[in-house]
Amino acid sequence: MAPPPVWLPVCSANWLIDLSHLWAPMSLDGIIELQGITKRYAGHIAVRDLSLVVPRGAVYGLLGPNGAGKTTTIRMIMNIIVPDQGRIRLFGSQGSGRDLSHLIGYLPEERGLYRKMRVFDLLVFLAETKGVPRRSAKEQADRWIGRLGLTDWASKPVNDLSKGMQQKVQFMATILHEPELLILDEPFSGFDPVNTQRMKDVVVELAQRGATVLFSTHIMEQAEKLCDSVCIISRGRKVLDGRVSEIRREHGARNVILSVDGGAAALPSVLADRSLVTRADQYPQYAEIELAPGADPQRLLEAVMRQGLTVRRFEVGEASLHKIFVDLVGPDAATARAEEALPDA
Amino acid sequence: MRKIWVVIRREFVEKVRNKWFIISTVLGPVLMASFIVVPILMAGRGATERHVRIVDASGGDFGRELAGLLGGPVPVRADVVDVDLPNIEIVADSLTALVGEKTLDGYLIVTDATVSDGTAEYRGSNVSSQADMRILQQVLSEAVLTTRLARVGVDRSVVAAAQIPVRMRTVSIRGGEVTDSSGEAAFILAYAVWMLLYITILLYGVQVMGAVVEEKTSRIIEVLVSSLRPFQLLAGKIVGVGAVGLFQLSIWGLSAWWLYRRRAFVLELVGAPVTGSGGSLGFPEVAIGTVAIVLAYFLLGYFLYAAMFAAVAAMSNSEAEARQAQIPVVMLLVLPTILMVGILQEPDGTMAVALSLIPFCSPIAMPVRWAAVTVPPVEMAASLAILAVTLVLVIWLAARIYRVGILMYGKRPGPRELVRWIRA
Repeated sequence: MAPPPVWLPVCSANWLIDLSHLWAPMSLDGIIELQGITKRYAGHIAVRDLSLVVPRGAVYGLLGPNGAGKTTTIRMIMNIIVPDQGRIRLFGSQGSGRDLSHLIGYLPEERGLYRKMRVFDLLVFLAETKGVPRRSAKEQADRWIGRLGLTDWASKPVNDLSKGMQQKVQFMATILHEPELLILDEPFSGFDPVNTQRMKDVVVELAQRGATVLFSTHIMEQAEKLCDSVCIISRGRKVLDGRVSEIRREHGARNVILSVDGGAAALPSVLADRSLVTRADQYPQYAEIELAPGADPQRLLEAVMRQGLTVRRFEVGEASLHKIFVDLVGPDAATARAEEALPDA
Repeated sequence: MRKIWVVIRREFVEKVRNKWFIISTVLGPVLMASFIVVPILMAGRGATERHVRIVDASGGDFGRELAGLLGGPVPVRADVVDVDLPNIEIVADSLTALVGEKTLDGYLIVTDATVSDGTAEYRGSNVSSQADMRILQQVLSEAVLTTRLARVGVDRSVVAAAQIPVRMRTVSIRGGEVTDSSGEAAFILAYAVWMLLYITILLYGVQVMGAVVEEKTSRIIEVLVSSLRPFQLLAGKIVGVGAVGLFQLSIWGLSAWWLYRRRAFVLELVGAPVTGSGGSLGFPEVAIGTVAIVLAYFLLGYFLYAAMFAAVAAMSNSEAEARQAQIPVVMLLVLPTILMVGILQEPDGTMAVALSLIPFCSPIAMPVRWAAVTVPPVEMAASLAILAVTLVLVIWLAARIYRVGILMYGKRPGPRELVRWIRA
């Protein structure tokens, strides 16, 4: 938890650190700490010996393909299911996600609302289940309904709302009680672009105000834009974690994005030159090229020009998270689907 | 505790606001009122007059005697045609045409055989009318009786004077004391208690099931369990729906009481003749003790079955699947219903006593017995104790199934899987 009240002596910092060793082997700053958690289902292991720390104030991405164990991990954090092994600590203490629900905004992957309930009543009810007193729940519901432009719909049943509006209601229910920690499972899947942008804005705003955000996604580009830190998992195991900038520095070889007239099909002879290119991922419009150790990007450009090709884009940069991920786990694992990962992908 | 209260309140408010609740709550008393009013209206209704022709082939006065009897207050008018036996069908054909043209409702053929063997035939367009046929039957019997008596030289009036209706009053003895209530009243009360318990336990139990399935199919369940313990959710739901049930029952109870008290006013309202007895419905006096027993068993029975219905719902993926999976639970409730007649025939018999001790039957069997006879206090205490212990056990099991089941989608679990859920 946050440092204790003001009446502590000046040496409180030392006291805290000393004490912290007694009950917290990991950093005190971790709002979520997982230690060696494992979850087995009949026939397969959904999560295997996973450890991670989500620092306070971070926007943290839990990345991996479908079926990697993201939802299982999040459900264990929320104490909806119990790990077979390992420890979970939230806010520095051993409490469960349910007991701390007033501090946590949780958006599950499986979304749902009471379809016959009126929007306002539903929001108040859901806030109350998180321990918000009825009166302030009503005030907050009013405020957020106004802010997201649903005032005219407040007393209509959820059923009457369009899908986009229902998504807004679902999102409001997640943040209405002003949680310190947001746990969002695939938050942008199924949302239309306008709502996605609106939600991103709210998430960023909450993060700026000091909230910690953990979200899972299988879309690496999303994580790249939003996250300070990520943990990439595949088939229930952690592949790597850390700050995005450090991951890039450590794992990303120098990369070139190359696009020429006539598409990537015109490139094979250049890409086959092992003194320049270690490997290349070709897409219809461009190729993502990993330079051979010591190779000069200028020489690659010259080689392309010599082929008489017109270069439309030539960009030297760091590897994308997606590429790092594919390099680490292999393309098969990266696209591994949920077949083996039932009952919850 | 506060969170359970939040769930209870939502369940109650949403259910009571629902239009089906309002419709059924209003319809209940209307139905009850119609129980009182409709028979009276039916009885007092000025029936449309029927016109029949008597085809008399007896060669005597039998036909005219019949017509004379029909001339009284009954709504059937008759005239007579005398025919010879061989010509009956010719006359009948022309009369059939008249019935077809609706100038006649039908015709009655009487012959010598009517008086000697008791046979006659009526052909008409109103043969499906119970009331008309009963009148014809009665008049025919009376005429045959009179004629046959006259043939042996006995005056009908002598026989009539000898025939008087005998009324046997039945009085129920309870606790070694003669009571005011009749045996019939005890039967009606037991019957009403059975109807009430069977319908309400089933009705509200199924509502709990629907509520759980709804949360599962709409997938809101995961949002809920992230802030509520499954037990809080289950308890809130069962208590909430139970509160709706009690609310509805008390509305019905109060309106039944009011309707009974003001039955004269209600009858006047619909323009029916006010009779002293309050129509065909004799309400037995209901003692406070009986109300308490019925209420106690309703609550215990409702909780028992609601917990089972909730577990069934948690195992199912859809409304349809739940309806199928509920059958074993409903059978448990139907069992004492099938054996109801046996219980009433012999309320202190072995079967009745056994059923009132078996926990899944006792919520219905025991109150029915209580209404019919005096139940020894020991049996009552044993029945309540067994029921209470079973209730705790069932709720524990149901909560464990519910806890795992609400987040499971896909195949419905088999018995082995269920055991794993319970152990988990």
